[in-house]
Amino acid sequence: MGRLFVPIGLLAAIVIAIIATDRPSPRADFTFINRGDVATLDVQKASWMQDLRVIRMLFEGLVKNDVLDSDYTILPGVAERWEISEDGLTYTFHLRADAFWNVHGKPVAVTAHDFAYAWRRGILPDTASDYAGQFHLIRGGRAFYDWRTQQLDEIAAMPSGAARSDRARALWALTELKFNEMVGIRAVDDRTFRVELERPTAYFLDLCAFAVFYPVYPPLVRQYELPDPATGRLDQQPGWTMAETIVCNGPFRLDSWRFKREVRLEKNALYWDRDSIAIDSVSIPSNEDPNAQVLAFKSGAIDWVSDVSTPYRRFIVADKLAYYAEHREQYEELLAQGLDPVEIDRRLPPDPRQNIHTFPAFGTYFLNFNCLPKLVDGRDNPFADPRIRRAFAMSVDKERIATKVRGTGERIANTLIPRNSIAGYESPAGLPYDPDAARKLLAEAGYPGGRGFITVEILFNKDAGHDLIAQAAAKDWQENLGVPVLLAQKEIKVFRNDLKNQNFMISRAGWFGDYGDPTTFLDLNRCDDGNNDRKYCSPRYEELMDRAASETDPAKRMAILADAERLVVEEDLPFIPIFQYVQVYLFDPHKVSGISSHPRQQQDLFRIDMLGDGKGSDIPRGLPPGGGDVKRKPPEQQSAKPAEQSIRSRLRPPDLMICRSANVLLSRAAIGGRA
Amino acid sequence: MIGLITRRLLQLPLIVGVIYTLTLTLAWAVPGNPIDNPEGRRPPAAVVEAMLRQYNLDSFPRFYLSYLDNATGTKWVRDQVTGRAAERAAAAAEVGQAVPIRRVFDLGPSLQYEDWGVNQIIQDALPVSIALGAMAMLIAVIIGVGAGVVGAVRPNSVADISTLAVALIGISLPSFVVGTTLLLVFSVWLGWFPVGQWGLRGAVLPAITLSLPFAAYIARLTRMGMLEHLGADFIRTARAKGLPESRVVLKHALKNAFLPVLSYMGPATAMAMTGSFVVERVFTVPGIGQHFVNAVLNKDLFLIMGVVLVYSTMLILFNLTVDVLYRWVDPRIE
Repeated sequence: MGRLFVPIGLLAAIVIAIIATDRPSPRADFTFINRGDVATLDVQKASWMQDLRVIRMLFEGLVKNDVLDSDYTILPGVAERWEISEDGLTYTFHLRADAFWNVHGKPVAVTAHDFAYAWRRGILPDTASDYAGQFHLIRGGRAFYDWRTQQLDEIAAMPSGAARSDRARALWALTELKFNEMVGIRAVDDRTFRVELERPTAYFLDLCAFAVFYPVYPPLVRQYELPDPATGRLDQQPGWTMAETIVCNGPFRLDSWRFKREVRLEKNALYWDRDSIAIDSVSIPSNEDPNAQVLAFKSGAIDWVSDVSTPYRRFIVADKLAYYAEHREQYEELLAQGLDPVEIDRRLPPDPRQNIHTFPAFGTYFLNFNCLPKLVDGRDNPFADPRIRRAFAMSVDKERIATKVRGTGERIANTLIPRNSIAGYESPAGLPYDPDAARKLLAEAGYPGGRGFITVEILFNKDAGHDLIAQAAAKDWQENLGVPVLLAQKEIKVFRNDLKNQNFMISRAGWFGDYGDPTTFLDLNRCDDGNNDRKYCSPRYEELMDRAASETDPAKRMAILADAERLVVEEDLPFIPIFQYVQVYLFDPHKVSGISSHPRQQQDLFRIDMLGDGKGSDIPRGLPPGGGDVKRKPPEQQSAKPAEQSIRSRLRPPDLMICRSANVLLSRAAIGGRA
Repeated sequence: MIGLITRRLLQLPLIVGVIYTLTLTLAWAVPGNPIDNPEGRRPPAAVVEAMLRQYNLDSFPRFYLSYLDNATGTKWVRDQVTGRAAERAAAAAEVGQAVPIRRVFDLGPSLQYEDWGVNQIIQDALPVSIALGAMAMLIAVIIGVGAGVVGAVRPNSVADISTLAVALIGISLPSFVVGTTLLLVFSVWLGWFPVGQWGLRGAVLPAITLSLPFAAYIARLTRMGMLEHLGADFIRTARAKGLPESRVVLKHALKNAFLPVLSYMGPATAMAMTGSFVVERVFTVPGIGQHFVNAVLNKDLFLIMGVVLVYSTMLILFNLTVDVLYRWVDPRIE
């Protein structure tokens, strides 16, 4: 009989041995669920929004945006002041003396050389940074990238032997030489960093606030980079981003990173502006199940759910609206004062429904047209005709999609760039919903009543309610235009493949802006843009975009860009804008402050102050009255004299452009699950 | 016994080899490009090409052989013997760099989680799945055997029928329903267990959820075995000797009725330990089950192959252990 219990005893022993030794960490001051697991903390390689969000807490760039300001003002970071040359081409940054790397508790000054090293990493093709293109604004950045790529290709093409390995070995020294010679990045001395641009770029300071332009600690990272003696390629090993090794200069330091379990940050005691940090520790537990995220919030274990994506989220949002309706008078009065929406919640009677927050996001949902003359199967593509694209665009009832299908407070979009999200930019009107005009256009194009039109296929991936949006659009086209429509639902990988190969007629799409300039959206329509799935290519559009690029007057430049957008949203319609994405958050406004409701939706979590915990000022942090939409101000003239500002003065970029490091990615929240 | 062990160990590479070939062929056929993020900005074409080349992802035979070479440790051995490892170390020292770490069994990098190697991922996730599976089996045996004995002692009584009903529910209800309900009741409403936190307390609810179908099956097995043995001659003898009923049931009948349960426990434990994608997701358990699904969806070839190789090896060894144990518990089996 005794032997019978041995297997059971063995099981118990395993359980005890593993679980009892695995103690959960204590509650942090601020615990939140990120929109997905962090894939990489490598500053130059990161591109996911969740990664960039953590990187902004761990590292600090030359400058940063004030996310709790309606203008997204540029604030000093590692650079305490900077000068811009008269021609707008040379930026000279002066680094502060008290910016330190936290080298395992020891302070080491952040120098201009660290920035030069990190930016070189970003440019090098070996790093394969998703944002390598952003560095091409810098003088010689593009040429250096191309030179290095060509060198590597030539070595790869050589037959293996002594000649090849000699050349591979010599390449790295040559690359360092070429970089200094070709690229306009210069560490003048330890505390002076000079950058020369290809052409005046109004939003360059905003780019400097983007996480990919943050520094890394060269003595550490260099240990993980080794030129491969066989190919000359810089072999980059992962590993320096682990908690035991990483060296940071930001408001927080990485305390632990357990894969798929938890990322834990502690306040960096060596950070120069440490007194402004009101929380000591941040925990980011891994939680990928949308329902479990909501339950975890309800149990009180989580302070902020950064991306509510449950199928029932529209009902959660409806609860909040019902709550506002119950307190209509008081709510409208507070709204009229222009208060931050979170502040309005704080002043209304307490209710658990207050924890739901819906903010417009810096992204647009749209439907792509394939603009090529022929379809992949060789048939003529009717959507090559802009009249037909316009007819289709004007016959989609966006209002119904936004309110009935989505129902989480989305605003319909007739433009690609979310309205009022970029200061100084006047959005064009776009096309209205007008089925009669649409039918006329279709008849003009040779299909009266939709007769003779090929069966239209809408391509989408099988997640996140794309099917419902496609169904709604299909119904509109069938009823308003009389064309037959089929739905083609595919697995995400197949979907991506079809998009890339233009194997579609109409497909679902979406785009989130990276930085505070219209080009972050408008570049999508350039002929040679890597993300131009529509293969739209218009000489007129190219001409406008080129003209805008060389225009030095900010106001004129904005007007040209608005003309370019007018061309695509009123005449050519390579896509149909449907609605502006929203972000749904869960957090208790009486407990958490410092989450930005700005339409750019960058969250800088070192600005968080937990109310009533005795740390920080405990005065709610949020957008000042009148926030929400960016104020419409005419762009200021670029100053002729070099602007010199003292420390802590709130600097404004020349043309008020705001930038944010949101990620490019089609947000998981808005579009739904990844996969 | 020793013959059995040697025979099984010799079969091991063969079986793993077949599994490797089949899995890689299927995973390779999955449409899409492993370098691509499912969403997001596309890197320039030249970068993608270079990466595909670097990881041998541009040729099936090259990937097939090089991965096997790295994962089985033959490359490591060869590097040591030919002195390539020393050469690399010297090259690193020359430019003042740390010597890159080379693992004996190198399962490669994860294409999705760029900062992590597959070795590290498995190292973190495997113990969690093993502990969860073991705990689930423990609970399943306790509930299952208990319910089975109660049902068998008084067949067709209220207790028997209700345990039967519960067992049926346990088998039929999908785990995301059970899991979410348990989470809602015990964590959110009652606050007894933490939500989404791994640890002794955090493991209870997922283990119960995972155990229910096994418990139900074990209950049926125990009940049948008990009914069969309670009517047997040796039980009548035991009763005739004047033994108390509890001793008759627990010692004499259960001992024999437990043997089929024991043989079921082998594969069942293995199954519980492969982790359940659903249970792991609902309770946010950082186990290995999620990688089986996510890695395939992401076409993260290194992770797919790493997880499959480690798991198949582990399962074969595990089955061997169960067989050995079984013979030791019941020496009648040959």
